[in-house]
Amino acid sequence: MTTDFPTVQPDTPIADAIRIFRESAHQSGRRLFGLIVTDENHHLAGMLSMYDILLYVRPKHIQVWGTMEDINVAGLIDAAGRRLKSILVGDIMTPDVVTIGPNVDLFMILDIMIKKHIRRLPVIEEQRIIGIVYISDLFNHLLEQIDN
Amino acid sequence: MEQANTLQNLTVSRAMRRQVICLEKNKSINHGISIIIKHKTNALLVVDSHRQPAGVVSKTDIMGAYYAGLPIDSPLEYIMVSPPLFCKSKDSLETALEQMRTNKVYRLYVTDPDAEDLVGALAYPDIVGLLYQYCHQCPYSHLNRKKHANETDPLLRFKVRELMTRGVKSIPLHETLTSVMEALSEYRFGAILVADEDGLPTGVISKTDLALTYKHGVSPSVTAQEVMCTPVHTCDAESLLEEAIKKMIMADIHRLFVYEDQEDTIAGVLSLSDAARGRSGSCHGCISSRIKVEDHE
Repeated sequence: MTTDFPTVQPDTPIADAIRIFRESAHQSGRRLFGLIVTDENHHLAGMLSMYDILLYVRPKHIQVWGTMEDINVAGLIDAAGRRLKSILVGDIMTPDVVTIGPNVDLFMILDIMIKKHIRRLPVIEEQRIIGIVYISDLFNHLLEQIDN
Repeated sequence: MEQANTLQNLTVSRAMRRQVICLEKNKSINHGISIIIKHKTNALLVVDSHRQPAGVVSKTDIMGAYYAGLPIDSPLEYIMVSPPLFCKSKDSLETALEQMRTNKVYRLYVTDPDAEDLVGALAYPDIVGLLYQYCHQCPYSHLNRKKHANETDPLLRFKVRELMTRGVKSIPLHETLTSVMEALSEYRFGAILVADEDGLPTGVISKTDLALTYKHGVSPSVTAQEVMCTPVHTCDAESLLEEAIKKMIMADIHRLFVYEDQEDTIAGVLSLSDAARGRSGSCHGCISSRIKVEDHE
């Protein structure tokens, strides 16, 4: 479990969340793909993944003009930028997040991650989020043990 | 040249979207708005605990909840309209469009031919998208003809003027969101123009904007000026329908305000639904282009 992770609030502008994603990409160590969203009581409110943002940026009618050549790509990027301006984290985050308690068995975590296609699981104790289990950490930890 | 119906012989499965956006009926309106915003859809299918379709919640229903002051944590089942309307994937697009018009809805859910499994959703913009795709591939298309600009164009092409809805309503900058919602509801519009003291168009408020203000906890007593979107997307009444549809599809917008003569004289509005109701491609020579398209397939 990792206890060092950035969080955002539902009323954080998406632009700020994007900045956190991008800064993490330039730092050594872990790259972020999902951000924990907490409310004013530090309770888990949801998760904002890169996928949520990409889903929002994807033009609605891409299937219509995906194969066309006369597309004004710069114009499309401008339009996506304009759309992102007025959006807050809470508008596009995923509010239903699967969580675990601190005493859940490793293989149970593995099972949850596989069955539900989840790559990160917030760990909750007494309604407070105390850490995250990343699939990469689970992989390294488990395989290290198997190796031994 | 004989005028033809481009939608002839096409089935629902050709135009529908296979991803059906749905949410359980005990989930909050707040959650529903997130889904609608993220997936850029106008409505979501509400399902019961057995994942069976129970109703539909559209942006109009969300606006109604905002207007009525319903707490945003209320479950979707409070505001859903049921039952959802269905068509079958093998139905002709003609039949589906007729069903949409008769029932005054903009969306149908699609089942397999045995009416057992849900396989998709059909909405006006998707039909327009399909038509645009055909037009784009057609050798008679205006976009393809640009390469032969010196030749005279033998085809009569639809202009925005022919399909736009005339008589655009607008609301003054200082009006409240409550008035905006009353106007949208009365005229059955998806968006309304916001005009300054001189009547010049300055912004637009759509049902999507209202869903976001509801979600952000903004009071319906704030003025139109505070939440309107700028600039107003416009086009000339004399421009070709093909160009107007392209503009809408590319910019992810549902309507263009149409000006005549001068850019600040808005005479009408063209929505993607208007274009779909036109039930044709963008030129009068569709029968030829349809055959061409099929030859390629």
